[in-house]
Amino acid sequence: MPRREKKIVVIGGGLAGLSATMKICEFKVRVTLVSFQPVKRSHSVCAQGGINAAIDTKGEGDSPEIHFYDTVKGGDFLAHQPLARDMCHQGPAIIRLMDRMGVAFNRTAEGHLDFRRFGGTLYSRTAFAGATTGQQLVYALDEQVRRHERDGLVQKLEWHEYLGAVVDGAGVCRGAVVHDLRAGNILAIAADAVVLATGGPGQIYARSTNSTVCTGSAAASAYLQGAKYANGEFIQIHPTAIPGQDKLRLMSESARGEGGRIWVPRNPGDNRDPLKIPEEDRYYFLEENHPLFGNLVPRDVASREIHDVVYNRKLGVGGQPTVYLDLTHQPPEFLERRLGGIIDIYRKFTGQDPSRVPMKIFPAVHYSMGGLWVDYESDGHGMVDHRSPRNQMTSIPGLYAAGEVDYQYHGANRLGANSLLSCIYTGLLIGPGIVRYCDNLDKGRDAVPSSLFDRAKKEWDNRFAEIKRMNGRENPYALHRELGDLLLTNVLIVRENKKLLETLDGLDGIEARFKDIKCLDTSDWSNPTPSFINQLYNMIHLSRIITKGALLRDECRGAHYKPEFDLNQPDRFDPHEFIDYLEKKQYGPPREEDYPPGHLAYMRRFEANEEEWLKTTIAQYKNNGPEISYEAVDLSLVTPRPRKYD
Amino acid sequence: MTRETIALKIKRQDAPGAKPYWNVFKLPSLPHANVISCLQEIQRNPVTADGKTVTPVTWDCNCLEEVCGSCTMRINGRVRQACTALVDILEDPIVLEPMSKFPVVRDLQVDRSRMFENLRKIKGWIEIDGSYDIGEGPVFPEKIREKAYALSQCMTCGCCLEACPQFTLTNDFMGAATFSQVRYFNLHPTGAMNKEERLEAVMKSGGIADCGNAQVCVEVCPKKIPLTESIAEIGRETTLQLLKNLVLK
Amino acid sequence: MSKLTKEDLHFFLLKLHSLTGIVPIGIFLAFHLAINSLRTVGVHQYQFSIDLINNLPFLFGIEVLFIYVPLLLHSALGFYVTFAGRMNVRRYPYYRNWMYTLQRITGAIVFAFLVYHMGTTVVPKIYYGKELFDAAPFLIDAMNREFQTWGGRILYLAGIFSAAFHFANGLWGFCVSWGMIVGPSAQRNASVVFLLFGLVLGLLGAATVVEFSLHPVPVAPSFTG
Repeated sequence: MPRREKKIVVIGGGLAGLSATMKICEFKVRVTLVSFQPVKRSHSVCAQGGINAAIDTKGEGDSPEIHFYDTVKGGDFLAHQPLARDMCHQGPAIIRLMDRMGVAFNRTAEGHLDFRRFGGTLYSRTAFAGATTGQQLVYALDEQVRRHERDGLVQKLEWHEYLGAVVDGAGVCRGAVVHDLRAGNILAIAADAVVLATGGPGQIYARSTNSTVCTGSAAASAYLQGAKYANGEFIQIHPTAIPGQDKLRLMSESARGEGGRIWVPRNPGDNRDPLKIPEEDRYYFLEENHPLFGNLVPRDVASREIHDVVYNRKLGVGGQPTVYLDLTHQPPEFLERRLGGIIDIYRKFTGQDPSRVPMKIFPAVHYSMGGLWVDYESDGHGMVDHRSPRNQMTSIPGLYAAGEVDYQYHGANRLGANSLLSCIYTGLLIGPGIVRYCDNLDKGRDAVPSSLFDRAKKEWDNRFAEIKRMNGRENPYALHRELGDLLLTNVLIVRENKKLLETLDGLDGIEARFKDIKCLDTSDWSNPTPSFINQLYNMIHLSRIITKGALLRDECRGAHYKPEFDLNQPDRFDPHEFIDYLEKKQYGPPREEDYPPGHLAYMRRFEANEEEWLKTTIAQYKNNGPEISYEAVDLSLVTPRPRKYD
Repeated sequence: MTRETIALKIKRQDAPGAKPYWNVFKLPSLPHANVISCLQEIQRNPVTADGKTVTPVTWDCNCLEEVCGSCTMRINGRVRQACTALVDILEDPIVLEPMSKFPVVRDLQVDRSRMFENLRKIKGWIEIDGSYDIGEGPVFPEKIREKAYALSQCMTCGCCLEACPQFTLTNDFMGAATFSQVRYFNLHPTGAMNKEERLEAVMKSGGIADCGNAQVCVEVCPKKIPLTESIAEIGRETTLQLLKNLVLK
Repeated sequence: MSKLTKEDLHFFLLKLHSLTGIVPIGIFLAFHLAINSLRTVGVHQYQFSIDLINNLPFLFGIEVLFIYVPLLLHSALGFYVTFAGRMNVRRYPYYRNWMYTLQRITGAIVFAFLVYHMGTTVVPKIYYGKELFDAAPFLIDAMNREFQTWGGRILYLAGIFSAAFHFANGLWGFCVSWGMIVGPSAQRNASVVFLLFGLVLGLLGAATVVEFSLHPVPVAPSFTG
């Protein structure tokens, strides 16, 4: 029987979307690539520092297995282990592939790939192209996709926005509804499968390190259509960004990977020129509190430390909530070669030269570990079945997700330089499975009655007509800013249940005001306003998922920190004690005297907490809000234990 | 220099071919403000200086840190990225116009598909065998890598073309960005295998020979890409290719 | 070479445009200005040079093939290139953009000047034919008359300096677009050297103009027919 001619719609032209497109094209399957803008301008270009792969070119003894351990430990053991492991094992292959595609990775004297250090690990594991690694990776993939475009396998629909999936009576995704952002019309595209590679939701905070397209709207739309959304409350706050009215610009972790040091003046109110402050009056708090990892502790730890130093101990530079990120001890040529991109950004936006003056930085919303729930198939030995159609499929059959929009690789906190890896890894992983899914379909897209697509289009036509008729008093852009302010105040580094409850009320208020929005521009041609109003609606729902997930999760895990539920790890606690404790427990109750004072009690607290909370949060849309439930995490490979970085 | 308010004079156009018109907006001046944050402020309060409520201005932007290449426009007459245009160091009023060398879509949005089309014409990619793991890429010196990296930062923003006197809305000149990309791909050991095809692609109408060496491209490039060096390099390569074609073909 | 397509032709012609500007036109210009400056040494030397050139065998063929055709081709393509672009030096007033703009302006000036210059020198020669025409006295007389007035002097100085600049800057452009000088500092240095060279050429021409203006040569054109 001849195979049906297949077509897959990929939404999003960042690293995940492009690598999925490229991989699917290699199976000679047609792809319609839908993107909000030319794919070359996707948010992945903002990734700066690098991409992880344990190639161990420095003789440090690194291996993919250690990379895997660092990743799950960094994520506070909330990641599904077979997947995280497979990703880390694929890392070297992915780097070699990107290298073959021409990515201008920095090289060693011998001409091999160079690697640098990054947070949450003790190994030089991060391949990098200056400080614009994401941009370089996107370009290489964009180029490969352009090649497939020339060969007629890819049709690009740039300036088109995903609105929703076309789901048939059996709940199977049969296509996508997209909105032409130029002409303003809406079209329903029939497809055998749809991939969402639409990135993160940073824009719900209005000001973050994310690009303006990162509204999370596509993911929220899938959630509103019944897809499960997982681990929403885990939002990574990057410790180092610079302020701006429109955006908080990231200063890559690679600045610390290349020797950057974080400090504040030891004495509050010390307003001296930072270069005039002598070493003994500088408080290198990360180095002092975490002697082993120093400035390269994971991001959740670093952000919390900065938060503590500037808010609780009032040591922020000039009384402001900022700290110094100091690179002035490194030679300017070295900085130019290895960090040129971010040095340039800092110079352009602040007018100061980081090779002469310490940078002033503070934490900013950066990444969502959570996202659409997706499936995978493990063979029971900790291996991922690479050909399974279940890999990366959301809870809506035929609707897949890859990249930041999915949830399962980074647990409760992502390690730096792992996001580029997970984007490309998931994009490539989707390929074989999704093609098999299409082959296994009972009927191809051509056999689906056109009335299904007509109906989907009609629904969205009506929705947009309704939006254009909105003629209330609220300005959608101003309301978005308020939504962002609400979340920035309450759902950030340190979370309190009282405030989270208030936030849920606040969100209800914002939703009520949403109904009173005025659609400022009702024209058809290249009009972003109706589209933005629709995104705002989705952002409100996404904010509920995050806030409610955070409210219900009464513990501290990775980026989710509630001081009330801090287990208070004793000083000098060694995580191996916990493994020892688990082992001894099998032979009878552990004895207090086997451990330093207080340790056993802590381990018991920890164990109880793991029992209750080491679970994936699942949000499902019910009664205009998220219904939260929990699922088990696949812990088949490594025993979860307390994290420690000093 | 701090001001209490700033004025933005924006050239608007409702659709391709429609008659352009101007709107002036007065905004409070905020710390760290850039042209983008001003445009966002206009979205939140789309009222002109003379009190008229208008539709929000439309423009393209994404990363807001000068790596995506979206927000190119003419600011006080000069082409640049709007995100790095800090309000404090701009002359008041700030005049915003769309680029003049690309068809206007709406307001400050233009259609730059010509640039992407050119990337296709020059076969702007490395011809890899496939995405499966077939081992390491070619080993080559860091010096060459550095050269390539300088070129690979081109974000297809269009500044070099807008400022180029030889590049117009109606002619078919490819422009500096494209020539520089030819050089970029030809620098890579694998890319060099298809060197001739790329050179031939710019030895045509609108190709490298049309360059008038005004060298404004390199002055306005936000990424400081050595565009004129690329042009001369491709000039040399195409000259040699021409001689080869004359003698060997 | 394989079949020449329209697209190939475009490239080929533009290459030819930049080449003809140097060889033969630029070379001719350099010799023309240098040889004419013999006038500053003495009338005889000047007359001798004119006679030497005008008595070359196959002169007409040489002139057509190496001067008139390249000049026409270079001018036609030059105007095409000029009108394909749109100058913007007021908006982007950078050094090289000024050079780009001046290159086009001087090109147009030289073209206009040549129409006049050749109209008053070459056309009579062709019209009367070699047998009926003694070049040296005729040309010397013509120049005498030109440089009697400020109008003529300014016209010639403008033509000469425009041509010298156009050649010098064109030489730079040629070296860049043929890839002989690539790096930015090489390009900067070459620009200085070439412009100095242009200045020398211009001064040579100007010296001839000055000499004619100060010391007209008493000679009457003779027609031996």
